[in-house]
Amino acid sequence: MGRWQELDHTADLALHVWGRDLTDLFVAAASGMFSLLAGAAPAGAAVRFELHLAALDVESLLVDWLNELLYLCETRDLVATGFVLERLTPTELQAEVVGVPVAERRAHIKAATYHMLSVVAVEAGYETEVVFDV
Amino acid sequence: MVTRESFRRVGACSWELPESYDERMQAPARIYAGKVLFERAFGDRSVEQLVNVAMLPGLVKYAMALPDMHQGYGFPIGGVAAFDYDKGIISPGGVGYDINCGVRMLTSRMDYEEVAPHMDALATALFRHCPSGVGGSGAVNLSWDELNAVLEEGSGWALKSGYATAEDVTRTESEGCLLQAQAAAVPDRAKARGRGQLGSLGSGNHFLEVDVVDEVYDVGTAECYGLRVGQVVVQIHCGSRGLGHEVCTQSLRQLQDAPQRYGIPIPDRELVAAPIASPEGQTYLAAMAAAANYAFANRQVLAHFVRLAFEEILAGKVPDWHLDQLYDVTHNIAKVEDHIVDGVRMRLVVHRKGATRAFPVGRPELPDVYRTTGQPVLVPGSMGTYSYVLAAEPASLELTLGSSCHGAGRRMSRRAATRAMRGESVRAQLKAQGVAVRAKGMRRLAEEAPLAYKDVSLVVESVVGAGIARKVARVRPVAVIKG
Repeated sequence: MGRWQELDHTADLALHVWGRDLTDLFVAAASGMFSLLAGAAPAGAAVRFELHLAALDVESLLVDWLNELLYLCETRDLVATGFVLERLTPTELQAEVVGVPVAERRAHIKAATYHMLSVVAVEAGYETEVVFDV
Repeated sequence: MVTRESFRRVGACSWELPESYDERMQAPARIYAGKVLFERAFGDRSVEQLVNVAMLPGLVKYAMALPDMHQGYGFPIGGVAAFDYDKGIISPGGVGYDINCGVRMLTSRMDYEEVAPHMDALATALFRHCPSGVGGSGAVNLSWDELNAVLEEGSGWALKSGYATAEDVTRTESEGCLLQAQAAAVPDRAKARGRGQLGSLGSGNHFLEVDVVDEVYDVGTAECYGLRVGQVVVQIHCGSRGLGHEVCTQSLRQLQDAPQRYGIPIPDRELVAAPIASPEGQTYLAAMAAAANYAFANRQVLAHFVRLAFEEILAGKVPDWHLDQLYDVTHNIAKVEDHIVDGVRMRLVVHRKGATRAFPVGRPELPDVYRTTGQPVLVPGSMGTYSYVLAAEPASLELTLGSSCHGAGRRMSRRAATRAMRGESVRAQLKAQGVAVRAKGMRRLAEEAPLAYKDVSLVVESVVGAGIARKVARVRPVAVIKG
């Protein structure tokens, strides 16, 4: 299972994310991001949606993945709780996402940024740091 | 890692890192701050981020940071960077996600004593009239055609639609409309996010505040600005909402391969850029300007709602409840401006990220009413502390290409702030100070607590000490509305 840890950032939010493989890393980054928004009680039945993304490289794909999730959840008043990556290469992704409707969200993230973004291969898999604009 | 020893003092409140510090630097980096704030700037990664900005091609003069600087993503917050229109770049990271986040001040004709008995009711009415919070849909439902008009006309649309007076529009930076705007350059998805949010405050550090003028430093300028001790004024701080965020996100995405195609070396991917003159650069400029116009219209519609709340609570109870506009400034923007650089007139794109335009006497952009005083510079402090109204000084053009600080600037992370205090105690503390608070969430109150910010007075003393602006008046809050 991938993991994440919140890092201190003067104005915004930042996460250190680890994963055994890229799939783990992408799931951990998404779970971590939604944990920053968490706290709202569910207000309806879960919904599922599909995502297909293609990008230049793995860093762009990670930012696209997180921003796409933010967009879909913000416009549908959802918080995403489940992520199944059906296909993931460094430049392409296909996923099924489970979202839960919420009456009101506690926090807001404007976007995942590319700031100093680098997905690094380490002995135990992959790790990265993502800064979010809030 | 850059340290303070690499900088040399070049003025009472200015410090310079020479271009020779790193061979990739295109120009020196400058920090405008008193000694205390200069030294504190090394407490996070903001100076490193400033050095990264100094590496971008076509940079004119210096990569500049103001005393409220703090770590951002890409550019530091409190940063200014200008690029030659013909040879330079434009970078969405130099504007940020909340395009044309800015501040507006409205002045009343009432003293605090007249309003005080109604302050609680007024705070409640403001909270009701001005939608706020995460998502926070607005009160204006726009058709697609109307949205396109907002994007291309900004405050002009608000005037046409009955949300503005002609004087409001004149007293807005760029008269509330950037002419480069093209609605067609704005992605559909951004439009979808923006269509239902016009006239809303949003969340984060955005706020609406009722203040009372606490001190006047420059009587002549204060009179011209319509400010006097004891008077009630209103501040509105917000931006382009989801529309602006989406324009920035999509632009960064589209520009990811531009540095490679145009041979632009970038030290950080958030600083992706395209030549201003390139099709990509022009598309971003047109989309960013459209988002900026949306933000001008947003603050204008909110000003209209504020007026409705004042009327609802105060009409018939005080002789004159009307609100006039002092000024509206933007602090996240890239502007096409003409400047004299080393004696030569140049057309520039000036990126101000967490920085306010500060144009002095003599600039043709100033409205007639401020031609003899210089532009009002609005510097909101943290919640519950003072805010300042400054006036731009002539030296600002030479020092910072006409730019000043934009606020107190954070010094503590949101996480550290929520660990240090609870929202309830922040509210109780504000109440004890006589500040009425209306907020959507308690957590936000803790995140935005005064303790999390620099002392705005130190920031203001630094820009005054540097010669960028002079103090005109100070205001203190009596009611705060937060998303």
